[in-house]
Amino acid sequence: MSAHMLEIRKVDKFYGPIDRGVHAVKDVSLSVKRGDIIALLGSSGCGKTSTLRMIAGFEEVSRGSISIAGREVHMLPPVKRNVAMAFEGYSLYPTVTVRDNIAFALKSSGKGAADIAQNVAEVAEMLEITDILDRYPMSISGGQQQRASLARALIRAADLYLLDEPMGQLEPQLRTLLRGRIKYYIKERGLTAILVTHDQTEANALADKIAVMEDGEMQQYASPEKIKEAPANLFTGTFVGEPPMNVFPAKAAVSDNALVFTLQDGSNLSFPRAAFADELQGHITGLDEITLGVRPYAVRRQVDGAFARVLANQWLGDQTHISAEFAGGELVLVEHDRVELAEGDAISVHLNAGDLHIFDPQTGRAISHGASLVA
Amino acid sequence: MSLTLNKISKSFKDDVVLDDLSLEVPTGKTLVLFGPSGAGKTVLLRLIAGVIEPDVGDIIIGGCNMEGVEPEDRGIGMAFQNFALFPHLSALDNIASPLAARRQDKSNIQSGVEKLARLLKIDHVLGHKPKELSNGQKQRTALARALAGEPRILLLDDPLRNVDAKLRFEMRLELPRLIKHQHATVIYVTQDYKEAMAFGDEIAVVNRGRIQQVGTPEDVYLSPANMDIAQLFGDPVINLLEVTPQMGPNGLHALVSDQPLALPTSDASIAGRSCVLGLRPEALHFVDAGAPGAIPVTVETETPLNEKTITLAMTARGREVMLSRPAGTPGPTTGPAHIAINHQVTLLFDAESQALIPSNDLGTAGKVA
Repeated sequence: MSAHMLEIRKVDKFYGPIDRGVHAVKDVSLSVKRGDIIALLGSSGCGKTSTLRMIAGFEEVSRGSISIAGREVHMLPPVKRNVAMAFEGYSLYPTVTVRDNIAFALKSSGKGAADIAQNVAEVAEMLEITDILDRYPMSISGGQQQRASLARALIRAADLYLLDEPMGQLEPQLRTLLRGRIKYYIKERGLTAILVTHDQTEANALADKIAVMEDGEMQQYASPEKIKEAPANLFTGTFVGEPPMNVFPAKAAVSDNALVFTLQDGSNLSFPRAAFADELQGHITGLDEITLGVRPYAVRRQVDGAFARVLANQWLGDQTHISAEFAGGELVLVEHDRVELAEGDAISVHLNAGDLHIFDPQTGRAISHGASLVA
Repeated sequence: MSLTLNKISKSFKDDVVLDDLSLEVPTGKTLVLFGPSGAGKTVLLRLIAGVIEPDVGDIIIGGCNMEGVEPEDRGIGMAFQNFALFPHLSALDNIASPLAARRQDKSNIQSGVEKLARLLKIDHVLGHKPKELSNGQKQRTALARALAGEPRILLLDDPLRNVDAKLRFEMRLELPRLIKHQHATVIYVTQDYKEAMAFGDEIAVVNRGRIQQVGTPEDVYLSPANMDIAQLFGDPVINLLEVTPQMGPNGLHALVSDQPLALPTSDASIAGRSCVLGLRPEALHFVDAGAPGAIPVTVETETPLNEKTITLAMTARGREVMLSRPAGTPGPTTGPAHIAINHQVTLLFDAESQALIPSNDLGTAGKVA
């Protein structure tokens, strides 16, 4: 048996005639390990939902192939694919209660009534819908419908679980808790799940690997940590992460023992040359311009750093977000404690060479993360 | 201009939307109205704007009672979540519309609009019609229009609701400063607690037509008036555990998983009463098994959340708790572990009334380090 529960090979989706219609998904290949949670992440129109619908069988594959659990499925109808779905538009049956909607998914499983009732009770408790099990779908809120639909999908035995924006409508206070519970539920049972979301927070919270999509193309497919540490390009770097990565146009030059980045306002950020690989120095000093990126949490307030002036200091209870005027642009910092800073205050900020991401502004591609060139 | 609402009530047929509500916003300050949809926030804005009249009560702006004063004479600027721009006018003309209505001099209008547009970073799209603008640009245009009339009172009805996460973040950092520089008195409606904390000099938590608490972001987060409010602020949501306080030789304490925890009050009368302990996820942390007060738990899963790591864990008694720590700091990802509670930042509520039991030393918790 293949170690991969899902394999997407060189899949294209055209709406309209092949090669002439709208090219919604462009040559996407993706393998998903058994037991992994994968997020397809991107903004609307990026191709993530088309990809999910092709996996489910709601859309034809224009080119390429898809297999699930080692079976080629892209020519099979949805019911033959052995996938469980929580989709927008794949709605609850309005004429039966929430309980029966969820239990219905187990009817064909051969389980006894007592087992089914037990399973429904468990999943309902996990998703905080126990008190609405006997209500009808029309009489419950959007957030509750979403949870009921999620319960119906998760209770089934299937090769693959396809979840389309599963938590978009959830009450904000419940979201983080339910993310934790759902992740635990999926992991405990070793299920394999594909999640579509536009919300990078949700993707980071749940996924083992994130496929970042934009304009029909897969930009990067990697773990959340890897995407943070080594974003493949400027799009991925600035899309994943809240607060988003700080970016500045700069020009790199070498003087004596220092690698110096000259920023928009003419100010210089200077680092010891030893902190960067020789080939990296050679590459970036040969470019007219580079884009310098640094994550908000990597910016530290520290004496003898670069000058910045506070624009805003917002305490959010457990985290402080500071924005500051810096080198002709704006720099955002995150701290975990409260800090006493007001608009107009001067601060000294320190950037570590190891935290710098360098991008080619022409192509958007990452040139380096920290000390060394991207392979 | 200050804004005072004095004992306002408003019903639509039998539906009481606002019930004897009073509020005061000093000149140049921002008050955030925070609450779930249906709480009456939008009705309150419409009353202030003069679009509808209260059944009972007074609206006072700059010392003048607004009864019978037409909306256009109240000196109010407004921006809403649905942008509401004139589709046939350019961004510039949209922004200028309140000024044009006042028959201001054309070159004055032009320079005023350009200044605002630069501030809001839309100066490069002033010639565009609304349909050519991105959502963020539309939102900024609507805001510029609200500011253009140099209103004494600015009403903002969830203006960031329909913009994407990245822009919302950017605007959250940027907007309060822009607004402050206009010296207007602002009422800002939102359902997002982070916006409420970032924008509000004060936050009024509204629910079911009534104000449940008015206070600074510190007040609301560190001393929420009741359990509802404690759960509305903070992500992840506060952990709530049922406890029964006991009097011991070292004062009031409660047992949490058999470990005594000092309580934030010396009110002996609560001993034996049913209470609920509120523990912010950041007040819990992992410790070694032998540490004082260590509570055994089983770590179920870890979910990263915006530079924090959130852990879902279960105590031996089957109580689910969430812990939060800065991303990148070590902690167990699964299996058995021990946690401890920072007793200086706990909250205690009466289980029956759900009200906060006041702490001895208000202000200790969360103090600037």
